[in-house]
Amino acid sequence: MSEQPSPRVEYRDAVGVVSVAGEVDIIQAHALRDRLLGAVRNEDLGLVVDLSEATYIDSVGVSLLFELAERLGERQLKLAVVLPEDGLVERVLTMVHLRSVADVQPTVDAALSAIST
Amino acid sequence: MRSRIAADRLRDLESITDAALAYLPMEELLKELLARVVAILAVDTSAILLLEDDDTTLVARAAKGLEEEVERGVRIPVGRGFAGRIAATRRPVRIFNIDEFEVVNPILREKGLRSLLGVPLLVEGSVIGVLHVGTLTPRAFDDEDVQLLQRAADRAALAIFSRLAERERALADALQRSLAPRLPVLPGVEFTGRYLPAAAARLGGDWYDVFQLPDGRLGMAIGDVVGRGFHAAAIMGQLRSAMRAFALDAASPSLVLERLSRLLRQLEIGRTATLVYLTLDPHGGMLRLASAGHPPPLVDPQDGEPWFVELGGSVPLGATRHVRYDDVELTLEPGAALVLYTDGLVERPGESLDDGLQRLARVVGGSDEDLEHLGDLLVDEMLPEGTGDDDAALLMARALPLSDRLVAEFPAEVESIPLMRRMLGRWLADAGATRADVDDLTLAAAEACANAIEHAYGLAPGIVQVRAWSPDGTEVKVAIQDFGNWRAPRGANRGRGLVLMEGLTDEVDVVRGDEGTTVELTRRIGAVAA
Repeated sequence: MSEQPSPRVEYRDAVGVVSVAGEVDIIQAHALRDRLLGAVRNEDLGLVVDLSEATYIDSVGVSLLFELAERLGERQLKLAVVLPEDGLVERVLTMVHLRSVADVQPTVDAALSAIST
Repeated sequence: MRSRIAADRLRDLESITDAALAYLPMEELLKELLARVVAILAVDTSAILLLEDDDTTLVARAAKGLEEEVERGVRIPVGRGFAGRIAATRRPVRIFNIDEFEVVNPILREKGLRSLLGVPLLVEGSVIGVLHVGTLTPRAFDDEDVQLLQRAADRAALAIFSRLAERERALADALQRSLAPRLPVLPGVEFTGRYLPAAAARLGGDWYDVFQLPDGRLGMAIGDVVGRGFHAAAIMGQLRSAMRAFALDAASPSLVLERLSRLLRQLEIGRTATLVYLTLDPHGGMLRLASAGHPPPLVDPQDGEPWFVELGGSVPLGATRHVRYDDVELTLEPGAALVLYTDGLVERPGESLDDGLQRLARVVGGSDEDLEHLGDLLVDEMLPEGTGDDDAALLMARALPLSDRLVAEFPAEVESIPLMRRMLGRWLADAGATRADVDDLTLAAAEACANAIEHAYGLAPGIVQVRAWSPDGTEVKVAIQDFGNWRAPRGANRGRGLVLMEGLTDEVDVVRGDEGTTVELTRRIGAVAA
């Protein structure tokens, strides 16, 4: 409950992987939105958002993920989200049915193969 | 004949400090002084230059017959040219033919001056400026002229010095008032601060600050810019602003100090400052501290002896080009006080710093007073005769146990939400909530706060009140109340906000009354919730 998210972006072939640690809240969401949308390259197949190190997400953060899924869908790109095994972030994203718009996976590798198939 | 003239001139000189001058403002005083000097010495021009705080530059402050010198803000480096040499040597300089002398100030030549005489303005042996006169026709100033001008300068120097001291005292007061931070008023942690200007009334470089960070933690700083006067105070103001800016997005206090050190070297090579910066989590009292050569903070636990926080040897900001600082972590338990101070509080002439630190620990440890009274007590006991040459600052925080019933008000701004979460989280943990209870309830409360902020007040400022209580120890209620006009939540965020509130608690009640809207969240806590 201290460090601010400093999204790390790396690319595995034609998929961007954005790792977001810490808190995804109403204060941080604005900067995060730009980083997430900016991480998608034209030639990519999709995007992986790795939230396994995230400790908090509020409704603004949730909406950001739904918006991202919608934008990617419009471009025929896939969104996969890596969730922690349990804890607040997992509870919240299950509660809002993130699965209805994104592929939810336990690890980055599983998310990558979900997008590539 | 000659002696009568000399007597007249001396009498005229007396008039330089007569009663009428005593009440003139600075600019008028200088003008009047120069007019009298011109008359007494029968010269064409006269000017006064005063030494800047950095002791390296003379600046024209008043002139007669040489008004351009003031209008153009002429600056003369000490040691160079006519006035610069007078200030550097503290001796009179006579110039019969200006063409045979290196003159820095072009105005002297432009005006067609031929001969010059200048003397230092001295107060207690220190140069505060230069008084000089000039003639448009060649004149060999004699010893009597030099003596007269020096006597005029001595009288003028005292009058100027007292005006400067007065002005500086007023500026010091205004500056310190404007820089005194508004200390946050929060449940769970209280603050108090003291600033004591130096008795000499010279502007000092001490300051303290408390501010909220974006993630809800608090930043606390106390610092001491080495040196005195306007310049040190201006550097202090810049460091203080930069500290807040760096603190906004730096991951740790040590990084903030490293950046500040680089900034200080850019502002002024050779200027140093000592500083302690720390972040305090009001939820749990977790402290992260870093020090740049500053005296060690003191922790006064509720039970037991006060102890100084070991921060290791560190160099002041600005002292070296490449510098690394270390973070120290500790927890401020409920009831414990943290005491930050500058050396002006603990140092006495003829006494070691160690003696001063021990006295501080003794006074703090021997007091059961509340924080405000402890602040007064420390000032009385540590500085029984007031400050000396140095100013002093004191900043204290105490972690308080939260009461059974939490009531806290926050500005209706998004920035308040992280702080509210930490505060509520700490109260919930004290009330026996599990980690999952804390996480879920603080998120639900944060959503209710976001609703109130976005919908109750529009763009007008307002207040959000958060109350929490546990009716029977197995259940917690958290009420979030605004005092604005209700309108239906709009947008996808707020729709999801309600979904989260309902999903994370057992019950959500929304009560709209005349005084605003209250959202009441209920959840069973502890083992029974599972």
